[in-house]
Amino acid sequence: MTAARARFTAPIRAGSRFLLGLLLAAAVWEGAVILLGIRPHILPRLSEVLSAIALTPGAYRDGFLRTLAETLIGFVAGAGIGVLNGVAFFRAPVLRDMLFPIFVVSQTIPVIAFGALVVLWFGNTLMAKAVIAFYLTFFPVTVNTLLGLNAVDPRQVALLRSFGASGRQVLLRLQLPMALPQIFVALRLAASLSLVGAIVGEWFGDTTGIGVLLLQAMYNENVVALWAAILCSALLGTGFYALVALAERRIVFWGAEQ
Amino acid sequence: MHRRHLLATLGTAAAFPAIRRAGAQTLTRATLRLKWLAQTQFAGFYLALSRGYYREAGIDLTINPGGPNLLTENLVASGADTFGLSGGTDSVFAAREKNLPIVCVGVAHQQTPFVFVTRANGPIRALTDFRGRTVTTWFTGANYVLLGMLAQAGLRQGDFTMQPQQVSVTPFVDGQIDVVTATRYNEFYTLMTRMGRENLRTFVPEDFGVTFPRDTVITSEQTARDKPELVQGFLRASMRGWREALRDPKAGVDAVMAVAPTLNRPHQEFMLEEAGKLMVAGQAAQQGLFWIDRDAVKSAHDFLLRYEVIKQPVDLAAAYDRRFLDAIPVADRVA
Repeated sequence: MTAARARFTAPIRAGSRFLLGLLLAAAVWEGAVILLGIRPHILPRLSEVLSAIALTPGAYRDGFLRTLAETLIGFVAGAGIGVLNGVAFFRAPVLRDMLFPIFVVSQTIPVIAFGALVVLWFGNTLMAKAVIAFYLTFFPVTVNTLLGLNAVDPRQVALLRSFGASGRQVLLRLQLPMALPQIFVALRLAASLSLVGAIVGEWFGDTTGIGVLLLQAMYNENVVALWAAILCSALLGTGFYALVALAERRIVFWGAEQ
Repeated sequence: MHRRHLLATLGTAAAFPAIRRAGAQTLTRATLRLKWLAQTQFAGFYLALSRGYYREAGIDLTINPGGPNLLTENLVASGADTFGLSGGTDSVFAAREKNLPIVCVGVAHQQTPFVFVTRANGPIRALTDFRGRTVTTWFTGANYVLLGMLAQAGLRQGDFTMQPQQVSVTPFVDGQIDVVTATRYNEFYTLMTRMGRENLRTFVPEDFGVTFPRDTVITSEQTARDKPELVQGFLRASMRGWREALRDPKAGVDAVMAVAPTLNRPHQEFMLEEAGKLMVAGQAAQQGLFWIDRDAVKSAHDFLLRYEVIKQPVDLAAAYDRRFLDAIPVADRVA
């Protein structure tokens, strides 16, 4: 009874503490700027930043949604391909020896250099940004899937085998679930990386997106708009990360890392 | 509704293939890659687009903003974009020297769009005072303009410190550097609002005989050869947009703010006014917008050749093609 109530109230309490923390941070921001007399082009007041967003909410909403779409597509594709790669490398070491070094090389290309190419290939499309987000996400997921699969206790595999399980059953019932905690570590990383990829992608001549707002503000030395764009990307980044972490908590309920 | 209209057109076209050409005007898809982010430096293009002038010219145009790390010449040469508003005569020379198949079909800014700025009450009163001072500038052409100006005052590289200029003019405002480079329409506005116009002293390249026409309209050699009517239609529609943007700046600023609503309106109004001045300066006053002033181009070319920025002479007649402008009556060109 009490345990059930605790389970119910604990998230609410945690949530309200988080809100309190946010309000406190906001108050410190606003107060520090006023009290310490910080010049507005170093750090504008939070209220100024929020009213800038309120002035043209459409631009920020469109930018947010566009970047969200690019991030999500890149993340889902990167996670899917990453897991498939990991499984393929695990099942076929030949493939791993052939392709893994190429993957490593691909990751040493700075994403900025890659961005200009992607625009040449895909133009100013949503896909171009999703590709960059994908490029940043698939590798960590591949590596961690492989790590997780390799870490499965061979005695457990032998046990399932002795019951007559097929290779596919061993993979789906034992190896992948056991690798999930490792995979989720990569997914949390990928959540942030895919957002970085989408934003960097938008720096190559797009018209909508948080990256575009960041760039416009940066080069017009419009510090208020810069902070407004930073707030938007923080909201998107933390929101997405929180969702992945929540999914992790639900799916990998036995996982040690919380 | 738009899509339904398109579907109906397609349906008709499928049912009666013979009337397709004679029927609704088929639009040619094309893109314009700007040299920078959306701002009123490009107001005329945005106004022409929003008022449908490109459509009237048979062009379904998309405007792609530029940004850091993007070179318009490359995108146009590779065919990723049809037209480009590229860096300037300097970047066209560089592209032609590298054998990129692009041609310049118009020049927007007839004069050097940037100036060098010092403090009015500071120690620098003449070019000779640059000795031993720290200057920041863009290493994309402006650095050579500065070198050329200072050479006239007997200063050589090494007599002063030249650093690449970053995004912000704050180091100058804070007094960390002595001279900053500013475009008349952009950084100069920031400097004015933060320091006050009366506290700034400017060194204008034109006063020292150096002119760098910039903001060049480029297209690929292939487009210029195979689709001259597309190039001409594009220039015509762009001129219409620019004439109206210069006559009615509010409409010009509105057209840009519609695609980039977070921009600062007073800054954009200032920018359009300054860009307009650059566009109707020199021969453009008589010859009209986008005029290719061959003497100015040649003087910029010879200047860069003298400083060995370009190693070999560029065939200017091939690089700057004026026949598309010449085909448009002067009355339609003049702003």
